[in-house]
Amino acid sequence: MIRFITLCTVLIWAAEASAQQANDLGTDEQREAGKVLYDIKCAHCHGYSGDAISVATPFVRPTPRDFTSGNYKSRSTASGELPTTEDIRRSIRLGMPYTSMPAWEGILSEAEITNLAYYLKSFDAAFAGPYGNPTVVEVPPAPGYSDDPDHLARGRAVFEANQCADCHGDNGRGNGLSAPDLEDEWGFHIRPADMTKRWTYRASSTREDIYRTFMTGLNGTPMPSYQQSIEEADRWALVDYVWSLSRSTPDYGTVATAIGQSQALDLGDPLLFADAPEAYFPIVGQVIEPGREFNPGVNGIAVRAVFDTTHIALQLRWHDMTAETASHNHPSLPAPLFNPAQADTSAGDWSDAVALLWPAATPVGLERPYFMFGDTKNPMSIWFADLATDSAAALLGQGTGLITESDWPIESTAGYEDGMWTIVMKGPRRMGEMTFEERAFVPVSFSVWDGFNRERGNKRGLSAWYHIYMEPIEQESVLLPMAKWALIVLLVELALVGLVRWRAGRRDEY
Amino acid sequence: MNLLVLLTIAAVLVVIQVGVTRWVNLNRLAWMAIWWAALWAAFSYGITPPLPQSIVVLFMAIITIALLAYLSADSEELAQARQTLVSFMVEKRYQVALIVVILTLPLLVALSVFSSLNQAPQPPASGRTIHPVPPASISFEGNTINLSTANNPYRELEHSDPEAFAAHVDNGRRVYFENCFYCHGDNMEGAGQFAHGYDPLPANFNDATTIAMLQESYLFWRIAKGAPGLPPESTPWSSAMPAWENFLTEEEIWDVILFLYEFTGFEPRAQGMPH
Ligand code: HEC
Ligand code: HEC
Ligand code: HEC
Repeated sequence: MIRFITLCTVLIWAAEASAQQANDLGTDEQREAGKVLYDIKCAHCHGYSGDAISVATPFVRPTPRDFTSGNYKSRSTASGELPTTEDIRRSIRLGMPYTSMPAWEGILSEAEITNLAYYLKSFDAAFAGPYGNPTVVEVPPAPGYSDDPDHLARGRAVFEANQCADCHGDNGRGNGLSAPDLEDEWGFHIRPADMTKRWTYRASSTREDIYRTFMTGLNGTPMPSYQQSIEEADRWALVDYVWSLSRSTPDYGTVATAIGQSQALDLGDPLLFADAPEAYFPIVGQVIEPGREFNPGVNGIAVRAVFDTTHIALQLRWHDMTAETASHNHPSLPAPLFNPAQADTSAGDWSDAVALLWPAATPVGLERPYFMFGDTKNPMSIWFADLATDSAAALLGQGTGLITESDWPIESTAGYEDGMWTIVMKGPRRMGEMTFEERAFVPVSFSVWDGFNRERGNKRGLSAWYHIYMEPIEQESVLLPMAKWALIVLLVELALVGLVRWRAGRRDEY
Repeated sequence: MNLLVLLTIAAVLVVIQVGVTRWVNLNRLAWMAIWWAALWAAFSYGITPPLPQSIVVLFMAIITIALLAYLSADSEELAQARQTLVSFMVEKRYQVALIVVILTLPLLVALSVFSSLNQAPQPPASGRTIHPVPPASISFEGNTINLSTANNPYRELEHSDPEAFAAHVDNGRRVYFENCFYCHGDNMEGAGQFAHGYDPLPANFNDATTIAMLQESYLFWRIAKGAPGLPPESTPWSSAMPAWENFLTEEEIWDVILFLYEFTGFEPRAQGMPH
């Protein structure tokens, strides 16, 4: 018996030793070099002990990774397992888009990135143990993308059968029924990815990456692994279905073209914006004045605009996990001065809201109001829609805390469907000193409040100054000038050739 | 300067020039056309950043006149060139080519009119002065700070008390990673998480034209007063740079300045040197 136990112990010891040998932990020099770099470049977020206790952690969501936990989102390994060295290197190289984790490619050398990866591994003893050598989930080479309806329908069926929509929403906008209640490993609310925006995927966004993501799951988050439940034959169909729902780049614009029409604008007309091109603008956190919002709920807004002889109407659309329509919201509500990210995002206290911000007087030259809420010298006209109510109002902004009513009549409609708000606001093309002239570039900026994130007052998502271009109602035809110039050139040519021939002819006669 | 393009053009010209004098009798007009095209290509593609279209047009007008003058200086060459043109317009064997030319020219003109009228209208360009002249003094929490004489009070600790200095730098690191990296980026390259949503873009402190050429008192002004403190030529209405007097103490601002230089490895410009 004793012999047997000894044998076992020796065997286990031998197995562990051999596993240890195979574990890819780098050399002492590599880890030491990694530590030096880590303390300079990474520790203020990930913590000097790799435990994510740092000065930045109270502010950012998702929180910087706690390396002592061994939970890595982006992996090529089976669910629940540790990442490979290459996985960690890839995360460092590419960063995690739309979080505070930057991409280090081009800033750090490949050798430095490798050293860092080995140092990160040293924060969790498991990397040195038997689990330190994880099984890699093979991702076969991707077949070409196919938008064959049968193939996509099959992908859709897999999407439904596996309840992706529960979290990600019916069209992948991140608005599933359970989305408001999801938590990550560290007890913070986590939003399911808005699948339609591939540029925001944390673990990269090629078709192979999407395949890998649902095969391996994202450790530390509710995003599960489907390695067991989705058959091999269905996997690329699901990838292509996700692909078909999404775009690869945001294609951010700087100008939205408003289309002029001669018949009066009718907000009830479902085709009102059918001919207006859409421009997509980034929305970022207001981190400039007190009431800072470090984790805005909305990251982009799609805008279309039309106008008639007296009014202009804008359609604003954005993806929102949930519609908060209880309670109220207003730009002049007080928001706390010092405002770390809250764990308790909770619906119910504040409603969703949106605002269009214009100069209150047509700008002379480049000068315009301060883009936050205007200033006393250059006030702002704010078209504000509190989505708890079904009306919009015009306000006058002379700075944060200096927002008053104004009485320009604003009409609006609002609707929330499957994770997307669609708001239309219509106002006069002439508001005192502010006019929307044809052919003018009218400065505009946008603010969005996500009630779920407790955004109110100055705690909001906002944009820089952009422009609405007022494309004239009477489009001049380009044919006329084209024909005119072509004709002139033709006549000159004929005259020249005629003249030359005539003179040559005369010379021949003599 | 795009050397590759310029060298290619020069090489082509040399080959043609040598070829013309040695072997072929290139028509004077063709020779002119080649020179004209080569110079146009050099101006349009050989120079970076590209010259504005209007400048290229101006240059080409001058070159056209120069080439014509060159041609007309020699009456034999002029006669040769004229003869070519006349025979092209008169002789029967060129008739088809002539008709083609007569018809294509107006078409090309119509096309260029179309593209010039169809250009998407451009919003007004906003030039801004990145480093305006700072005010003589600012007030901070009731105190007046003279910007031409103010020094970072903790800078001297670097030599007199390295430990205390390190503590100040570390406090600056804290300030930076609580407040600044959303815009200026955690590597200070101006590419923070929210940078893409602001215009003008947040300053890149690794660039030799920002903090490397500024005095610490200048930074103090920019950090304390932010965008609202800028003069109109620096478009205070569109810059996202916060006025940190709302959030930070005087000491915290001097500390974060120490940290900016420490992290990027630059030295501040000494007091007394002009901006
Ligand atoms: C400004 C803060 C910040 C800095 C600086 C930073 N990170 Fe991160 N890092 C984050 C955040 C936030 C996450 C989590 C992102 C998420 O969960 O979506 C993260 C995640 C990671 C991950 C986990 C990837 C995964 O698959 O889960 C790795 C690895 C990582 N960081 C390495 C580094 C290294 C190495 C450095 C220094 C060179 C660094 N980070 C610097 C904020 C930062
Ligand atoms: C229990 C909820 C839940 C279910 C069910 C779910 N996901 Fe997710 N998924 C998430 C969460 C949460 C994230 C975001 C993780 C993060 O931001 O770090 C996510 C992220 C993703 C991403 C983006 C990955 C990245 O790199 O950021 C993709 C793609 C995705 N899921 C696909 C799917 C597919 C396909 C299904 C169904 C087969 C599915 N998910 C089912 C919760 C879920
Ligand atoms: C909301 C975004 C934002 C935040 C947060 C921010 N900045 Fe800025 N900062 C900018 C922008 C945009 C500019 C460039 C425009 C300008 O000069 O005003 C700038 C410019 C500067 C400049 C001037 C550089 C030069 O070359 O003139 C300094 C110095 C500076 N920031 C320091 C800081 C410090 C220190 C912090 C944190 C305490 C900080 N910034 C936080 C956006 C930001």
